[in-house]
This record gives sequence, C-alpha cells and structure tokens, in this order.
Amino acid sequence: MSARPVFPFPDLTRRRFIRGAAAVGALGFAPWPLRTALAAPATVLSGTEFALTIEDVSLTINGRQATATGVNGQVPAPILRWREGDTLTLAVTNRLREPSSIHWHGVRTPSPMDGVPGLSFRGIAPGETYVYRFPVRQSGTYWYHSHSMFQEQTGLYGAIVIEPKGGYAQGFDRDYVVLLSDWSFEPPERIVSNLKFQSNYYNYGQRTLGTFLDDAQRNGLADTVADRLEWGKMRMSPTDILDVSGATYAYLINGQAPAANWTALFRPGERVRLRFINGSSMSIFDVRIDGLPMTVVQADGNDVVPVTVDEFRISVAETYDVIVRPTADRAYTIFAQAEDRTGYARGTLAPRPGMAAAIPPMDPRPMRTMADMGMGSMGSMSGMTMDQGSMPGMDHSSMPGMDHGAMAGMSNMEASPEAKKLQGQVAVDNVAMMPSGRLQSAGEGFPPGRRVLSYADLRAIKPGSDSRPPSHEISLHLTGNMERFIWGFDGKKFSEAGPIEITRGDRVRFVLINDTMMEHPIHLHGLWSELENGHGEFRPYKHTINVKPGERLSYLVTADVPGRWAFHCHLLYHMETGMFREVHVA
Amino acid sequence: MIARLYRPLLMSLLSSALIACINPGPTTAEEDATVPIGIDLGGSGPVIAAAAPEGHAPPSQHRSDMQMAHEGHDDAHGTVTVNSVDPAQHKLNLSHNPIPEIGWPAMTMDFAVKPSVDLKPIKPGSRVNFTIEKGQGGMYEIQTITPAGGSR
Amino acid sequence: MSAARIVSLSLTLAAFATAAAAQTPTTNAPTSGPEPLAMPPPVMDQTIFAHVLFNEFEGRWNGSNSEFRWEGQGWVGTDYDKLWIKSEGTLQGNGVLEDGQDQFLYSRAITTYFDLQGGLRSDLDSRPTRNWAAFGIQGLAPYFFDLEVTGFVSGEGHLAAKLEASYDLLLTQRLILQPQVELNVYSKGDPARLVGAGFSDIDTGLRLRYEFDRKFAPYIGLVYEGKFGQTANFARRAGESTGDVRFVFGVRTWF
Repeated sequence: MSARPVFPFPDLTRRRFIRGAAAVGALGFAPWPLRTALAAPATVLSGTEFALTIEDVSLTINGRQATATGVNGQVPAPILRWREGDTLTLAVTNRLREPSSIHWHGVRTPSPMDGVPGLSFRGIAPGETYVYRFPVRQSGTYWYHSHSMFQEQTGLYGAIVIEPKGGYAQGFDRDYVVLLSDWSFEPPERIVSNLKFQSNYYNYGQRTLGTFLDDAQRNGLADTVADRLEWGKMRMSPTDILDVSGATYAYLINGQAPAANWTALFRPGERVRLRFINGSSMSIFDVRIDGLPMTVVQADGNDVVPVTVDEFRISVAETYDVIVRPTADRAYTIFAQAEDRTGYARGTLAPRPGMAAAIPPMDPRPMRTMADMGMGSMGSMSGMTMDQGSMPGMDHSSMPGMDHGAMAGMSNMEASPEAKKLQGQVAVDNVAMMPSGRLQSAGEGFPPGRRVLSYADLRAIKPGSDSRPPSHEISLHLTGNMERFIWGFDGKKFSEAGPIEITRGDRVRFVLINDTMMEHPIHLHGLWSELENGHGEFRPYKHTINVKPGERLSYLVTADVPGRWAFHCHLLYHMETGMFREVHVA
Repeated sequence: MIARLYRPLLMSLLSSALIACINPGPTTAEEDATVPIGIDLGGSGPVIAAAAPEGHAPPSQHRSDMQMAHEGHDDAHGTVTVNSVDPAQHKLNLSHNPIPEIGWPAMTMDFAVKPSVDLKPIKPGSRVNFTIEKGQGGMYEIQTITPAGGSR
Repeated sequence: MSAARIVSLSLTLAAFATAAAAQTPTTNAPTSGPEPLAMPPPVMDQTIFAHVLFNEFEGRWNGSNSEFRWEGQGWVGTDYDKLWIKSEGTLQGNGVLEDGQDQFLYSRAITTYFDLQGGLRSDLDSRPTRNWAAFGIQGLAPYFFDLEVTGFVSGEGHLAAKLEASYDLLLTQRLILQPQVELNVYSKGDPARLVGAGFSDIDTGLRLRYEFDRKFAPYIGLVYEGKFGQTANFARRAGESTGDVRFVFGVRTWF
C-alpha cells in the first residue's frame, strides 16, 4: 500500500485495525439473528375458540427475505381444524398499519361473518379485533384469506379442514394439506401498475421472428402468415395464458419453494389423502404425481363419486381432495406446474425425510385457439350445456388441432344482441361469437395419453337438496380489455354497475359467457353454485367455477341465506380492476 | 475521546459477530437439510358404508345442510367389487366395504345369489351395488345386483 | 436559452417527475354506487395510475456532428380519464434546441384501443415560441401498430398535423426491432422557426433494443431526418442540412 490511509484513531496499531476489520467483516457475513426468518413449522389450530393475529412477518423464499402478511407469525396462515356441527368463535386482531379482513372461502356463514369489507362489514381497522361467530354446517377442505387490497398476494392465506360429523366415505391413513400459492418480491401495487402500462409485461413466451420461422417451417409460409394476420387484426396474442408469470413469481407448496422440498411422509401401502388448495392470486396449476394415479374424492369440499386421474387443473380458489396409495418404498414428486409453464411448485411424498424423486420437465406451453376466442368448438354442442345427459368423462384430453376456419357450422357467426352491444366498448376487447359448452374438455396444454380431470367428471354422491327448476336466469358476460387491463362483467367494472338482486328463497340459474380468452375462476360467496354438467340432480356443488375462454356454462343457485354477497373473478388483479359484483339476496 | 470508545466498541462488535455466527440463519439451516415435513392430520378412522351413487339412502350419521334426507331403507346394502363369478353355483365372490347395518367389517367372501337374479351382465373386476337379505338357511343372499354408475 | 424557455422546459420536466413519483396508485376516487356506502368499496377499481415513458432518449451522430434527442410521454389518471404530457426536442451540438414540442392534453378512452385527446401544444425551443390547440387520437391500430394522429390550430388560424407510428418486432423475447416514423405538415410556413408549408419534415428510424428489464432497454439504430419543400429551402438558406442519416445510441425507459 503506497498511500497511508488517515485513521481517526491515532493510537491504533495496524494489527489491531486488521483484527477489528476482520471482526466487522465477519459480522457482515454472519446472518443477523434478529432478522432471521426461520422456516416456521406450520401449526394446526383446533377447537371452537380461535385467536388469530394478522401482522407483518418475515418470509424467506429461496434465500431472499421479504416482509409478508401473516397470521400468528406465519405464512401460510395456520391450518384451522373445525368440526361439522360446532359453533365457532374466531377473534381476529389486525396488527397491520392498514385495514384487513378474513373471508372463509367456501364456508357458508351468515352475511356479517363473511369477511368482505364494504359488503359484509367495515373491515378490521388497524389495532381492532373483530369477533367472527358462526355455526359450521358443512364438512370438507376449504381455505381462508384476506379480502382487503392485495393482502392475499402478500401471504394472508391458510387452510380450513372441517371434519365430517358422520365420518368419511373413503378411508385413508394419512392426511395432508397441500396449499399451492404464488409469491412475488414485487409489491402487488407495482404488479398492477406494470400491467396497466404493458399488459404483456410478464409474458416472456410471446411470438417472435423465431417462432414465426418455426411455424413457417412446420405449417408452411402461407398458413403462418394468415395465422399471424388473423391474430394481429384482433390485436390479440395466443400466448396470453396467465397475466402474471414465473418471471416474477415463485410458486410455493405450503409456503415452501421447490428447492425447500416440502415432504409428506407415508408408509408404503398406506392411503394418503391430499387436500389440494389453490390459494394463489393469479396462477392456475396443473397437478400430477408421476407414478401415482390420484383418486379425486372431493371438489370444493363436497363429496364426488371417486374418479381416478393422472392429472387435474386446479384454478385459483378451487380445492380438490385426492387419495393416493403409494405402494413402493420410494419418493414421489408432487408436481404443480403453472398453466403457462413458467414455473412450478413441488413437494415430495416419501417414506423418509430427505428423499426426493425426479422432477419432470414442464409440459409444452399451451396456446390459445380460435375456440378460446369464442369462434365455437369442434364437435361439442354450441350454446347451452344444460342437463342433457351428455356422456361424462368421454374425452379427457383437450380438443386436438383446433384449426380456425376449418369447422362446420361456422357459417352463422352472428353474435347475440347483447354481445353486439358490448363490441367496441372501452372495457371489452372481444366478444365470443359462438360460445360453446366445453365442460368435457380439461383444457389446453395436456399431452395426449394422460387422464385429466374435467368438470364433466364431477358427479355428486348424493342428489341435490333443492330439486326445483330455476325460476329465472341471470346471464353475465365475462369481459375484459387485455390491452388496458380492465376487467368486468358485461363491459362494466364494479363501480359502474349496480348489484344483482335475487329474492330470498329463489332458485336461479346463472349463465356465464366468457368473452375473454383467459380462464376466470368465478366465485359466489355465501351460496352454493350447482354446476350443470350433465349429471342431472347429481350436479356437483361448487363455490368456485373456472370458466374457460370462449365457454358458456350455467349453474343453479338457491338463494337461501340473505345478505350482500360478493361475486367475482378470483384472479386477484382482475377482481381489483373491476371484475366484481354484489349479489344482493333480500 | 473517540479513541477511548474504540476499544469497547470493537469488543462489542467482536462479541456480536461471535454470537451472530453461533445462531445459524436460514441459509445454514437449509444446508443442514432439515426438509420441511408436512403435518399429518391423521387417518380417517372408521368409514361409513360406501356411498351408492344412484341415490340410495345415506346412513343417518352423514348429514349436512345441503344433502337431501332420504327415507332410510331397512335392507343392508353396499357397493363392492366383483372378484369372480360362479355361474354354475350361482355365486359371486365379492370384496365389500363395512356394512354397519348388520355389523359386518370390510370382507372378501362368497355370496349366494337369489336364483331369479341374472348373473350374465356381472363381470369380474366391475363395481356393483347390491342388497342382501337373510335367506332360509340363515345365510345372507344377494337379492338385487346392479352395476355401479359412472364407471371410469 | 432565455429564462422563459428554461422555466417552461423545467416545468415540463417537473411535470414528468411528479407523474413518475405518483406512479404507485393513490387513493380511490369516490365511487358512484347505487347507494351511498358508508364503508369503503370492496374493490378499488377507480385507482389512479401514473406512468412516464421515454421512447427516444438518444445521442445522434452523422459522422461530423452530434445531437441529443428526447421524445417522451407521461400520463396520470384512471382507466377512462387521463392528463397526458408529450414532449420532444433535439439539442444540437452548438447548444441550439430544435424541434421542441410540448403537448398538455386531456385524454379520454373512447374505444377498445383508442383514446381521444385534446389540449395545448407549445413549441418551446431556441426559436420563437408558438402555441397551438391540439386535437387527436392515440392508440393501438390493427396489426399492433402504435399510432398517434394529432391536428393543431394556431391562434392565427394556421393548421398543422402530426402523424407518429411505430411497430415492435420481436426478434427474441428481449431483442426488439422498432421501426418508427414521425411526419409533420403545416398549412402555412413559419420562417422564424425554419418550418415551411406543406409536408415539412420527417423523422424516421430503425432502433434495435435489448430489454434487460422491461423498464430499461438500451438501443442502437439508424435515423433519417429529412426536410421537404419549403422547409428544405429554409434549411438550406440557414446553412443546415436537408437530409441527414444518423447513427443513434440511447435508452428506452419507462416507470
């Protein structure tokens, strides 16, 4: 060293300084214990009295630390274990600096206990405690999450397991909650702001010159040019699968990133019940366990006739309970890949901790088709999909090779009158000309040869409790403008529309037509949505229904509990930009 | 004055550094390969009689507000898997779930079938619904048998 | 530059900065629900957003001299109503600020892809200031062309129009080629500003950018600055070139 640095401590010798510097340097490398976020083990809370505290917690994902919104110090929130028939008291204290709330998703409560600020109650102010009190009259797997701003994205979500009064219909030896979610280190307000400026901000799978040349080589230049021009004229891209992707998300299983290897233990030969919950904000997952077929026994908390599949697509807010029976003494990978194949959540089913199985490569990325644009679909019934006794479970794979323009029956492309009114509006970028019933299709993106669950496979074990036909229909178009990132129903945001009024005791049919080219998981609070999927009185009871692009489906609702119920797309950023309505049962 | 403070400051920094080194942070914990283990909520316990998909009476315990309450039948019934068919003796070998109405656990056994019942449509490996009644010899006999709906 | 020009320029840049600072959504405008809600609405879908974009922020060389050019926009508002600022200008090597145009507009979303805009345009640079009323549309045309067409009327009744179009061709997910063109036309010549009647000038270029991040993409490219007709005559008389090809290097950034 040529120049002598000037020390402010004149009596310090050079050796002492180096020792001190080393100590300070070591301090820099050593983790600071007070800020350490230890991987807190999930806890299970049971009984009838609960105290939940909403607060900022430190969360570490893949070695990077952030401040998340947790309950009782953890993300995900504790597993709540209830018993059917109990009356519960849950005191929720808000220790955040902003208002909060908790909504019990899928649990039928009196309206003031539903947890939606602005509809059920005022919300829980900072420092306040709100006491929820309600009887539990159902059983199954559900979940709970904040209904305030974007707290659901920053970690306020957890599982609810309600034990059935009379025991289970299918036996099992082990029981695990598998809560899938998505996590971003970007603040959610910034995510929305980015999408408002550039709606394909997170899409790194767009069409390029490279894909053009590939397609031209495969399909011929003329066809490829025609295809590009067709999508270009509509100013849409078939690569829009999920608005927010793995470009910013880490996908979590019970709050753990894939590298953490969350493990569920079993003894070979045991039956393991896995309660899959999609508690994410914007991500649809395709779930499978290579080497283990899954027997789906419950959907959205309600028993269905057991159906064995290799894979299922679980949309935001849905739940599926499956039973698997691993017989070999080896590990299995629980693989939940995002629908746009930009990432995956991963856990392990193993006889001993520390084991891991191979992680399969992600499937090829699906692309939107003209059927998704609402140009009709090959071979299925266009228009209504009422209880027509269509053969369930016939076609588990997605409709192959849907080429535009090559379909019979496309001659009449006249949109319905209400659809015509929507065209050209600021908040509408597309209107489905021929929306079709597509419940038999599992969706796009599944390689052939795999048994994939579709809505047509869900058959309730017991017939519905209300056998009345609907007295009237409520028809809603799911609309949006991808470019401006505005979403709504019938071209209108929540603030531009009034409530949907239903008389108490009525039996109504909701008809949903998806004019957009993205899936929307539509959730009606407080009342069951009985999906009309061809099983007559054995239609499944659901709380969240995933409507595919260009699809038209219907479900029956008995308005048996009065109140102001939220009705919205459960993709968080769609909901917050307008895809929300009040359903007022009076 | 600063120089006098320096030595105690350095000592406290050194000790803090040592303490910080002793308490491992998350990265060290991960290197120890403590894999997060899922919480097992336990087994199902005794199960109710297998549900019949064609709307048979549910057992009285399994009730929730959205399920229809049927009038209960008195016959014992269940849903089973057919293992083998013996047309000569008009018998079936079945694996069935527990039937609490008559206090039977899950079993695999031979059943005599009422002579009027046609065994031809019954295939080994298929799932069926059946009702049984105690016959003349005190042995249970299958009265009706139908394929279980929603086969996959 | 005179004090007035400096002040106006600073105000423009300050407006940009304010817009950028307000980029995180602020509180909701009161909603017009069917009944007066004493409680806050369950979703805030009237949030105000603000963004700033610099499409051009570059140095230009033609081999003998260099200039610096910026072209940017900023807006603040809701889905339907926004206040929009547009600014462009070229700072030449000799310190003269040319082609300065600043627009202060109210923008209203009218169709799925287009906004209607109206307001004030101020030509602020080293030459005499001119003010115009502005009226036009901006949006995404079929086949993904970004389009801005604006008409102007000056206090004296002179007319002008400007057309801007660009296209993003993705070579890879992050490497993007952008052809761009800007064309101006005036009804009457303005010798003090070296602007002639008819089609006055064209500024067109091909820029290749690499998006390290969506919000920060350096680029290189080639531009052609051309002058036509009367404008070309004015330029020749002033000793300036009438057609210039320049190499550009800059950054496309937004926040």
